[in-house]
Amino acid sequence: MTFTSRPRPAALRRLAIGWLVMVGAAGLLAPWLPLPFAVGVPDLLHLAEPPAWTTAPRHWLGTDLFGRDVLTELLFGARQVVVLSLPATALAALAGALAGGSAGFWGNRGCRLPLAAWLLGLAGAWWLAVLPGGGHAAAGLLGAAALAGWAAPRLPWVSRAQWPLPLDSLFQAAITLLGAVPRLVLVLTLAAGPPLPMGQLLLLLGAVAWPEPARQVRAQMLQVRTLPFVEAARAVGLSPTQVWLRHALPHACRPLRAVVPLSLAGLIGLETTLAFLGVGRPPDVASWGQLLGMVRQEPSAWWLVASAGGALLLTLLALQQVARSNR
Amino acid sequence: MKYAWIILLLAIGGCMCSSVDKHQNHSIVRVRWVRDPENLSPLVQPNQNAVEALGLLHCSLLQLDFATGEHMPSLADSLPRLRLIGDSLTEVQYQLRQEATWDNGRPVLASDVAFTLKLYQCPGLPNEKAKAQLSFIRAVKLYPAYPRRFTLVCRGQVPGFSYETGDFPILPEAALDAKHTLRSYSLAQLARLSSLPPRDTTLTALVSRYQHADPSHHPERLPGCGAYRLVAWDIDRFLTFVRKPHWWADTLRPAPFVLQAKPRQLTYVIISDENTAALALRRHELDVLPQLSARAFRRLRAADSTDQELSFYSIPSYELLMAGFNTRRPMLRDSLTRQALGQLFDPAQLQRATQLGQGLRTVGLVHPHNWRYYNDSLPLPAYTPRRAAALLRQAGWQRRLAGWVQTKNPPQAAPQALTLRMRYRADDPTFATIALQFRAAAAALGIPVALLPTESSSFTKALREGDFDLYVRKVSSTPFTFDFTTLLHSRTIPESNFTKFSTPTTDRLIEDIATTGAPAQRRQLLRRFQAIVQAQAPLVPLFFLPYRLAADRELQHLYPSGYKPGYYAAAATWNLATGTVAAH
Repeated sequence: MTFTSRPRPAALRRLAIGWLVMVGAAGLLAPWLPLPFAVGVPDLLHLAEPPAWTTAPRHWLGTDLFGRDVLTELLFGARQVVVLSLPATALAALAGALAGGSAGFWGNRGCRLPLAAWLLGLAGAWWLAVLPGGGHAAAGLLGAAALAGWAAPRLPWVSRAQWPLPLDSLFQAAITLLGAVPRLVLVLTLAAGPPLPMGQLLLLLGAVAWPEPARQVRAQMLQVRTLPFVEAARAVGLSPTQVWLRHALPHACRPLRAVVPLSLAGLIGLETTLAFLGVGRPPDVASWGQLLGMVRQEPSAWWLVASAGGALLLTLLALQQVARSNR
Repeated sequence: MKYAWIILLLAIGGCMCSSVDKHQNHSIVRVRWVRDPENLSPLVQPNQNAVEALGLLHCSLLQLDFATGEHMPSLADSLPRLRLIGDSLTEVQYQLRQEATWDNGRPVLASDVAFTLKLYQCPGLPNEKAKAQLSFIRAVKLYPAYPRRFTLVCRGQVPGFSYETGDFPILPEAALDAKHTLRSYSLAQLARLSSLPPRDTTLTALVSRYQHADPSHHPERLPGCGAYRLVAWDIDRFLTFVRKPHWWADTLRPAPFVLQAKPRQLTYVIISDENTAALALRRHELDVLPQLSARAFRRLRAADSTDQELSFYSIPSYELLMAGFNTRRPMLRDSLTRQALGQLFDPAQLQRATQLGQGLRTVGLVHPHNWRYYNDSLPLPAYTPRRAAALLRQAGWQRRLAGWVQTKNPPQAAPQALTLRMRYRADDPTFATIALQFRAAAAALGIPVALLPTESSSFTKALREGDFDLYVRKVSSTPFTFDFTTLLHSRTIPESNFTKFSTPTTDRLIEDIATTGAPAQRRQLLRRFQAIVQAQAPLVPLFFLPYRLAADRELQHLYPSGYKPGYYAAAATWNLATGTVAAH
């Protein structure tokens, strides 16, 4: 005999997607919504006041420590999800798909580069690493690369000089390196100091979030590359890059449907933590983390925890539900 | 039963031991500081915490008596005698206490005072602020027959010289200049030097010795004759001062109030977060919690209403909350622009919001309680955005779609846009509230403002480097002196005059105010100065803050006061439940 019935997964999925659409719409449309209070404008007569539903002015979700309307801040805080966390997740997914897909498809021996490409790469690395000789050495290597490129079609021994690029080892090394430092510590170290411009913060979040999608795509690619349709594409005479891009990669990216919502949840959590600590973004940019952070200064402000914490919790749960149903 | 008496004895012994411990703990006073003093050099004194710490390590000639609100003799044996010379000079004669000695038993002599004053004027040392503050002392006269007597010759004829000449730490000549090399220089000679003369080996050696001693971070290398010595300094965590077992002032009967040093140990715990500090106070991990915000004060009071373990004090202070403009920025050079931007602050609402109505609005830098010198004919700063827009137009700004722009000369040059960067300390929500109010008011008028909350450790540096358009900060004043040199004189740019505002008129006025003794004339000068500052608007005074203090109820004789730091820790005593009063 059962006393309760579990909600059906489809209903939960619809609920989750409905909430996420609401958050997305709020974030996109916040500047045009007919809100009773403007964002960032303090109501100096009502600082850190609990929700007022019956008395004017009606701050439906109360005010924060500086007298800003919590509802307005919450809606504009959703904007951070849309303009920061979502693009950063897309960036991480794209980078992860390309890196993991390449490593899985070509492995350590599949990608062979000519002498000119090696010299070009060496010149770039020399210059970036500021090795002795600096620009002169890099320029010399660049000249050698140009010479090798010119000689390749003319001299057979130059065209035969190709070496495999250990893509998979490089990929594993990068993943291990990033995994060695906790993500929050890494971001705090890089974002400490003056607030970062939006573009830089987006790149930073993307740079720390790409390993998980990449790992999933690589694992899938290891299976996909041995499937008959990939062999068939090779047999038809398509170049390895065409096989990889048109046939293998779309199939290898299937795990992303489950991974991307979780990555987004992780990045929303990370962005909220940064805002909570007051790192990375200017203080006047509305965000859920900033609202939560004010509880440190006004511990009795339960409405800040309830509103910002509730919105954050629901969003993370919704993303997890979407990820589960996409599995 | 035959061992019962042994158990009884052990129990009594245990009780006695715990009682001793309790008494020992109760001769320790723990005070919260928001920030580290950063630098404990007597020449630098970068913030109030450094001033307070130096007050424990060193003695000055006179010291503020928190009980009466007047300056009383500390190292001096009585208040100085003033004698007017001609119509522009004053001689201030001091006699040092017979009992005053350094820790090694050597007496504190007039030559130490002369050495200290010369050190404050010596080029090559980080003494810009002290040099400006004491520049009115032109010479020191010593009397070989009376080694504890000296006369300071001061420029001007101000009654305030009786305390202005005595409020600086006296340093031992033997510690830095055992061979008395500085005695060959007069004070006026040193004051005239703007930098170290290239071939002057004496001064170069002295500066080198000072730098080598590094008293900024090793105050023990420049021992003072104060009641305490610093035994631990963990940067950004705590400072511990221990009372000297044998201090020269212990022999004074009756002990003057300003020479009291009751706690055996004073520990200053640096807790930047106010709620953490309040929690520490409620848990008895802290004894004194000064400079509370209005909301924290109210919250703590409400929380303590049942236990009643704390005492609460709220006193009007001489600490002014104000905004300042970087007048060297091309867009802020014009006083009309500054006036216009000043109209965007809302002092009335800000006072109500951040101080819950407490505090005192003001027209300028003079406290309204100084009714004789306060210029009450000037209007209080008020929030008038319409007038701000009119003033901006009057200053040549034009409102366009992208914001306010001003066409430069020559006209073909790119127009200048009015955008501001506002810097304030990140550790106090009051500053953030002011910044957000200003930003919202400016945004409504079409002026973008970027907010730059800054850590307190780098705030002063950023202001000194001019890395701001607009700042909000607190400044302290006293009811005794009207020396605006540090705030608005050209001589203190950029050390403490962060607005970099100065005109020959204001410079002269500041000097005249500092040296004029006649009350009627002084009143006239001060009222004129306030009018000029309001018209030029390098600063926008918002309101004077109250000091709020919470302390353990058993801690007595804290003397809460409106003078910085708002209490007198060295006089504090514990009122134990047993009725005994702990002392050193």
